[in-house]
Amino acid sequence: MKGSDLLQFSLDNLRRTRLRTFLTTLGVIIGIGALVAMVSFGTGMQRNITEAFTANDLFTTIRVLPVRMDIEQVMAGNLDGAMSGMQKRTRALNDTAIALIAAMPEVAVVFPEITFPVKIRFGGQETSTTLRSVPVAMGGYTPYDRMGWGGFFSSDSAAEVILSYGLLSRLKLTLDGEDEQARTDSSRVWRRVKADSLIGAEVEVITSVLDLGRMMSGGLAAAGQPSFTEHVTRLRVAGIRPRPHAFSNEQVQGGIVVPLLTGKRMPRFAFNNMWSLLSRGGRPTGSYEALYVRLNHLQDLPAIRKRLQELNFSVFALADQLEEIKRGFLMVDTALGAVGTIALVVAALGIINTMVMSILERTREIGVMKAVGASERQIRTIFFFEAGCIGLMGGMLGVLLGWLVSRLANWIANLWTLRQGGGVGGDIEFFYLPPWLIGGAILFAVGVSLAAGYYPATRAARVNPVEALRHD
Amino acid sequence: MSALVEAIDLHKHYQKGKAEVAALRGVSFAVEAGEFISLVGRSGSGKSTLLNIIGGLDTPSSGELRVGGRNLAAMDRELLARHRRTTVGMIFQSFNLIPSRTALENVALPMIFAGMERPVRSRRAAELLDLVGLDQRHTHKPAELSGGEAQRVAIARALANDPAILLADEPTGNLDSHTAAGILELLARLNQERALTILMVTHDQPSAERLSDRLLHMLDGGIIGEERGGRRA
Ligand SMILES: Nc1ncnc2c1ncn2[C@@H]1O[C@H](COP(=O)(O)OP(=O)(O)OP(=O)(O)O)[C@@H](O)[C@H]1O
Ligand SMILES: [Mg+2]
Repeated sequence: MKGSDLLQFSLDNLRRTRLRTFLTTLGVIIGIGALVAMVSFGTGMQRNITEAFTANDLFTTIRVLPVRMDIEQVMAGNLDGAMSGMQKRTRALNDTAIALIAAMPEVAVVFPEITFPVKIRFGGQETSTTLRSVPVAMGGYTPYDRMGWGGFFSSDSAAEVILSYGLLSRLKLTLDGEDEQARTDSSRVWRRVKADSLIGAEVEVITSVLDLGRMMSGGLAAAGQPSFTEHVTRLRVAGIRPRPHAFSNEQVQGGIVVPLLTGKRMPRFAFNNMWSLLSRGGRPTGSYEALYVRLNHLQDLPAIRKRLQELNFSVFALADQLEEIKRGFLMVDTALGAVGTIALVVAALGIINTMVMSILERTREIGVMKAVGASERQIRTIFFFEAGCIGLMGGMLGVLLGWLVSRLANWIANLWTLRQGGGVGGDIEFFYLPPWLIGGAILFAVGVSLAAGYYPATRAARVNPVEALRHD
Repeated sequence: MSALVEAIDLHKHYQKGKAEVAALRGVSFAVEAGEFISLVGRSGSGKSTLLNIIGGLDTPSSGELRVGGRNLAAMDRELLARHRRTTVGMIFQSFNLIPSRTALENVALPMIFAGMERPVRSRRAAELLDLVGLDQRHTHKPAELSGGEAQRVAIARALANDPAILLADEPTGNLDSHTAAGILELLARLNQERALTILMVTHDQPSAERLSDRLLHMLDGGIIGEERGGRRA
């Protein structure tokens, strides 16, 4: 028995019933196309989230809080539960704590969270944003190891600032050669600048300080109203962060970054959020709201988390959240895959139907083949090849269809996000078609087709030659 | 020397609903290599059933059947396929050619299942078509052939894997008497020149008497008599 000759049989048969073969294959094409488009969407979304996490190196970052706060209770809106957890406060996040954590060999960098809202004035424009303080030591770690333009800070107390890309548009600046789309927005007056000309430029950072003296002496007009004094710090632009990833979090990517000590020394009185308001109440002086711990290796995360918890710190790792998100995406993927699979099941029924029909038509021919010595295995192989060919063709063209659909959907989705999303958008990849999906989809198509061909092929192999050849 | 075909008390029953039809009821006979045997008898007497069993297309309900020393009753389906492929060649009243394939391709068909290489197949198929007198019809499709030509293609196909026995079930049943004579002449020539053993079912008693060594008379699933033919006379 020669496989190539049997394959030739299958191809001849398929060619003889060209239209029917095409229609049957079309079923597989549509099924695989749906499957590929849907799974590549799920995969694409997952990749975007994962990349956003990786781009900011959030996996190896732990946020250490001073108290055990039951995150789930806060999420569930149970503030009482969260508050009672706060009573168990045990260890202050002060410089002693930082030294303690920094001594751990797995820890790369540890620094306090010094984050507060500021106003920025630059080039005649003013906008509100968030200031974050980062030590020079972070210069070697994502995302600070890669600047879009310029460089990182020269020291922890330098009068320097790093701007985010998103901030530029809020200052109504557009960089040469960047973001053509934004400039077409006629409602804004854009200033076009060379990125290099921004480096070294002076930025005014304005913080508000509660002026207790003025509040006391302010008389009727100010009575009962807190009184603020603006405090201006002048910083030079050291660098501009690159254009952010489409799915990045504005809290992480936006705003400005200053050297740690520069930020620490800035006069301010600000409540970042509800949490800092609550925790500030009894916070001993010299302690911080939170610490950021950057690990050298992701695999150290569980051990470090455990050690910090044993030291009565509360630990919050984003890597944990990603697991949660990934589980969610797995479910979405499964649901999308199921829809595609249903389409493929319909296609499989089409294959069974077509093949059973063609076997009925070719009963006599099968009888002849058996009479001249074809074994059941050979007959079965011929029909399996036929099903396999339909599956292979359908699989390959289906992947092509799925890809075309994903391109089209991506294009439409980008038009839409561009219209909605202002500064960022226009070139987001919603779909991802990795090699394993291409290979897997084709294999799946062939597998399903072979499975569909099993019954017809077996039926063909069992044709009784005497009955098949009985004269008409 | 043992017989090429040896049947001992062959029975064949068909289940037809609740009723059982006995197509063969204890058939015993032997065929020597090189013989030309004709099976005659009225319709429904079991001639085709016997031929199909010898050809390995059907299996006996009981009894023993040895072809070339091997017992067919003990063969599984794979071995029966091999028997059909190598030991016997069959032709039928309706020629049973594959309509979508040319004469040459039809003749080459059994060689595909025997695993022969394409060039060998084509060369041998062409030789066989020449042998049966169809040197001008290699690329014709069955629909483009006359009945006599189609049966010659079928004969060439039956000889493709060089079988020991040719089984012919009313090979001239669909042909006019002149064409039929030509086919019978071809069979006689193959029997003569190639020492091909032939077992032929026919209703053409005069021709059978003239061409064959022996005539086996069948009735109601049994062989009721034997008659010497005129071939060696
Ligand atoms: N598949 C079957 N199922 C039931 N009965 C069958 C089957 N095949 C044959 N028979 C019966 O067996 C008997 C012998 O049939 P067979 O075809 O061998 O006769 P035959 O001698 O070849 O007749 P003919 O000269 O008309 O071809 C008949 O009575 C037929 O009805
Ligand atoms: Mg018959």
